[in-house]
Amino acid sequence: MVLSLGAFLALWAIVAAIVAEPTTMPGPLRVWTVLADEAASGRLLTNTGITLLRVVAAFVVAMGIGVALGLVLGRSHGTDRWLNPWLVILVNMPALVVTVLCYIWIGLNEVAAVAAVVINKVPLVTVMVREGARALRPDLDDLARIFRMPTGARLRHVVLPQMAPYIAGAARAGLSLIWKIVLVVEFLGRSSGVGFQIHLNFSMFRVAHILAYAFTFILVMLVIEYLVLRPLERHAGRWRQDGH
Amino acid sequence: MDIDIRAKSFAGRPVLGPIRLTLTQGQRVAILGPSGIGKTTFLRIVAGLDHAFDGTVTEPGRTTVVFQEPTLLPWRTALENITLPTQVAPDLARALLAEVGLAGKDALYPRQLSLGQQRRLALARAFAPSPTTLLMDEPFASLDADTAGRMLDLTAALLDRAGVSLIFVTHDPTEAARLRAQVLTLSGSPATLDG
Repeated sequence: MVLSLGAFLALWAIVAAIVAEPTTMPGPLRVWTVLADEAASGRLLTNTGITLLRVVAAFVVAMGIGVALGLVLGRSHGTDRWLNPWLVILVNMPALVVTVLCYIWIGLNEVAAVAAVVINKVPLVTVMVREGARALRPDLDDLARIFRMPTGARLRHVVLPQMAPYIAGAARAGLSLIWKIVLVVEFLGRSSGVGFQIHLNFSMFRVAHILAYAFTFILVMLVIEYLVLRPLERHAGRWRQDGH
Repeated sequence: MDIDIRAKSFAGRPVLGPIRLTLTQGQRVAILGPSGIGKTTFLRIVAGLDHAFDGTVTEPGRTTVVFQEPTLLPWRTALENITLPTQVAPDLARALLAEVGLAGKDALYPRQLSLGQQRRLALARAFAPSPTTLLMDEPFASLDADTAGRMLDLTAALLDRAGVSLIFVTHDPTEAARLRAQVLTLSGSPATLDG
């Protein structure tokens, strides 16, 4: 992996040297310098933090609604038949249109920004979780009924563990999608965050700044993936180990 | 337990005809019959898993089931596979695990147990909530002769100790004899019970 990343940086440096236009095609060293300057000024941390907060808020709300909806649609054929056309429309609605409409209808504020991301994300989570709910084991349903398990216990110990791979898949796909949409939302209508910084630097044609912010956020997402999502998945899957 | 099934159909096709069966406490009944006759359908109705039939099933106490497969929660330990579905205390669950020969295996997941051990765990779970009637749906079908024999003896011992009534679906009359169960045969179309 180190070798592959090294080759990428080398290729980038060579292309930048050939183009010889540091404003439009800065090399890795130039981007690193800008990144260090932005970090030293505090702007990088503040804007990355604000974007991360929006990502977390949208992620939590979208996963909550999407998992609940997916479970209902996967378990109730009638509701699924009713709501499926809405889902198809929402899945295919361009993120940009949803964002613009939210800003127009709700206003240029935080609620609109998070709502736009949530509306973009919920259909995808719902569709993925619905597949999981359709695949729930009927024999475990029988078990829960025979032993009269209370609804909460049934959800926690019978339903959700079966749904875990689908929810984890939706979470992973969701996180990478959400942060990209958050950037678009910030680009269009917020005055803070990584998306806003990209907007600002785009208007001033500062490509090194744009890349510095983009790489920082990619790094943040990688850290979340390796330090949060993967350990959680490992913990949830410990029952799959073979016998001693 | 009082079972009064007048009719059961699937998509307009009659499967079960009139069946009347009254079970006194501790009575054991084995239901025999060829594959596809409706034994499992009958058991699902008695268990309360199928309500789409004409008739009534009255059980003043509690019914539990040992399914054809162990039907365990793979993501929960052996102990939790008893305590979570049945809501009994861990101490009682441990005592039952010991009774079925699974002492010390509380923390193992089902995948870490052999098929025979999984079946014993399912048996322990069925006895945990102190049922008045136990339903068993060919629970020894996929076991080798030795393991099946040990399971039958264990089941008989648990039934003796708890004084639980039994409805036991099987296609093997020797299993019924080993559990000292009265044999009833499901036959005909739609199927009815003959004593």
